[in-house]
Amino acid sequence: MNDVIIAILRSGTPLVYVTLAGVIAQRAGVWNLGLEGLMIIGACATILGIMLTQSYAAAIVIAIAMCVIASVLSWFVIEKLKANPIIAGLGLTGLGIGGTALAVESIFGSQATVTAPFGAPKLGAAFGAYGVLSIFVAAMPFVVFALWLLLKRSRFGLQLSASGEHPFAARGVGIQPVRMRLIALSIGGILCAIGGAELATGSLQFFAQGMTAGRGFMAFAAVIFGAAHPIGATAAALFFAIAGALGIRAQLMFGDKVPHDLLQALPYLATVFGVWLSGKLGGAKTAGSFGELKDQ
Amino acid sequence: MSIHSPPALACRDVTVRYGDVTALSDVSVAFEPGLIHAVVGQNGAGKTTFARVASGLVQPTNGAVEIAGQVIRTGHVRESRAAGVELVHQSFALPPSFTVAEAMEFGAPGRGRLYSRKGLAEKWRAHLAGLDIQVDFSKRIRDLPVETQQSIEIARALITDARVLILDEPTAVLSPVGIEMLFARVRRLKQRGVTVILILHKIREVLGIADTITVLRGGRRVEGPVLAADISADHLATLIVGDAVKGHKPGDRDALVGNGGAHADVPSGHQRYASLAPALVLSAVSTVPDSEGAPLDKVSLSIRPGEIVGIAGVEGNGQKTLVRAIADLAGLSAGTIALGGEDITRKSLAARRAAGLRIIPFERNIEGLSLTSSLWENWSARELLQGPLLRLVNPARIRALCDGSLKKWGVHYHTSSQRAGSLSGGNAQKVILAREIDDDAKLIIAAQPTRGLDIGATAFVWESLRAARDKGAAILLISSDLDELFDISDRVVVMLSGRVAGAFAAPYDIQSVGAAMTGAGAAATGTQR
Repeated sequence: MNDVIIAILRSGTPLVYVTLAGVIAQRAGVWNLGLEGLMIIGACATILGIMLTQSYAAAIVIAIAMCVIASVLSWFVIEKLKANPIIAGLGLTGLGIGGTALAVESIFGSQATVTAPFGAPKLGAAFGAYGVLSIFVAAMPFVVFALWLLLKRSRFGLQLSASGEHPFAARGVGIQPVRMRLIALSIGGILCAIGGAELATGSLQFFAQGMTAGRGFMAFAAVIFGAAHPIGATAAALFFAIAGALGIRAQLMFGDKVPHDLLQALPYLATVFGVWLSGKLGGAKTAGSFGELKDQ
Repeated sequence: MSIHSPPALACRDVTVRYGDVTALSDVSVAFEPGLIHAVVGQNGAGKTTFARVASGLVQPTNGAVEIAGQVIRTGHVRESRAAGVELVHQSFALPPSFTVAEAMEFGAPGRGRLYSRKGLAEKWRAHLAGLDIQVDFSKRIRDLPVETQQSIEIARALITDARVLILDEPTAVLSPVGIEMLFARVRRLKQRGVTVILILHKIREVLGIADTITVLRGGRRVEGPVLAADISADHLATLIVGDAVKGHKPGDRDALVGNGGAHADVPSGHQRYASLAPALVLSAVSTVPDSEGAPLDKVSLSIRPGEIVGIAGVEGNGQKTLVRAIADLAGLSAGTIALGGEDITRKSLAARRAAGLRIIPFERNIEGLSLTSSLWENWSARELLQGPLLRLVNPARIRALCDGSLKKWGVHYHTSSQRAGSLSGGNAQKVILAREIDDDAKLIIAAQPTRGLDIGATAFVWESLRAARDKGAAILLISSDLDELFDISDRVVVMLSGRVAGAFAAPYDIQSVGAAMTGAGAAATGTQR
């Protein structure tokens, strides 16, 4: 049983961090399809940071800096150059996937994977079987709670939601929606960096090209499934992780009877199901209009 | 108030330009503290722009704003709010998913602490109670009736202890009873020392509430502030209208400026067609509840050819559902709909249109036109959609036809391939009229056809509807402007909560129609329910 929970936490934690980044952007009115790109930038920058500085803390700082820069770039494209946020997000994803591949190739030659000498700090023996998990796993519930406080129990959260849902109303009381979105996307950059770092160094310690494999989009689906509520979206992300872990289990158990491609597709099927369900329940309603930032 | 105290709000030489359009030019005006001021003018006169400059939402091209004698930085909402000016918007500006308590909190000044839902409700209970607003704090804005939404918005504006409260067209969405309640509230605010500036466009309302009157026309101040006692309704009408409606009917002129009382008798075109079968018959129509508005509840309605039937009611009482039901866009749970004697209950919208249904929709720029498409594409949409999917079209021929039609309807445009979005509101509406009003039209639904239009364009729409009526079309006019309804309708039907709450014939009595709109005393006025 323990190993199933560990597997779920390992695959679920990066997803949760990136989902939270999506939640905060969504509430500010940005359909952030750049999550995939930010996540892979975070993963790549962490590994390269370790190789460069031999310090994990410095590597995380570098990853956060890179992701925040990329987020601010997408904010600039959306708000100042007036691009459609969805297209800008997809562009950011392309930039992340292509840019990290280019960075790895130009530094290490034609290597498909880069292995770091060490990974994220682990919880240690005091946690028994769970000691193999990284500190980010333990921090995750606290981060979720903090974000819930910020978004659902503070005036900042209300101002952020107002900026996303009704920018004119926000401007009418003196809030600057453009600035709120900068803040939201910057916080999202930090969260994506951590999500990427956990993916590359939580249980592994390498970076491979395209290693996010659509997790950023899955996180986005969790945002919609969870109606942009921090706890709802976290639950949705964990649900996808559980589907994934069960898929691997099922492969081990029924791999000879059921085509294993089908079982591997389980988390993605769960994603489609989740988004369908949220549409059915009207959960996505709070998310506002399709990528358009309406103002009067 | 001493005459020497500085004005509560003063603008000096304020000019606002949006590209080539000048919304305000050199407006200088000062408002004495402690009074109720009205700023009046027709649509497009610059009233809303003026309010937004005063509240800091719009940065004027040049000019200065003074609040209680202090010059403030223009274009900064926070500065205006800090100086005590608050604006309540025409279309309410509260996020629909917020609860009442959240709507109070999100714009509150200072730094907020972490809150609990209960704590937030406690925090604002006294404030709302002080304004006599009873409401459930956990209700969401979108679930509240419009009157309550407006009260909440006013309460939101007063959290900072505002000294100047500007209300932009607050009466547009209210029933006559709601307007009386609003005005009573405004008078109470005046007693508390708040200077209230009301942006209005109906003379009747202006004279009923204002201490002083300022008139804007074409972005310029043409009069005021003058004491309301010193100006006659007729003179005020002339100031508002300018030369726009010379040659139109006197009844129209009064309706255009909201100076109606007893209305001139409507010339009845429908006598000629009285013997024909009804053009539209709704028999006990109920719709399936959906997220788009109040469902219909056993609505029965019959319109003869050559008759204009007006639908009155506070917004959100099923008017939109009524249009959707007739257009096959809402699911019917009971009842039948007949068009020109033929049962169309199970027919598609395309079949209904082929049978003579025409719609001038609520949202001119969303449902009515594709703003990014050319004029000829917009104009030809009705006919093209009737044909088979793979029919070849000849754009040159359509463009020529379109040019002829648009010229006939007096649309001002450069070329038929320009985008519909480049037209002014009045011209855009004329394109829709040119498309929807043709000789085969049996039933024309005109949903808020004059909203946002200036006086000239409004009068044009009215004339067009009358002309269609006189040619034998049945017209269903939906409007929240009672003056409009009374002026051109042969009958007025009131909707309340998805039901027909009363039917009236000319000459109309605003009191009894108003009572039916709020459900107060429908029995007392002796109308059927």
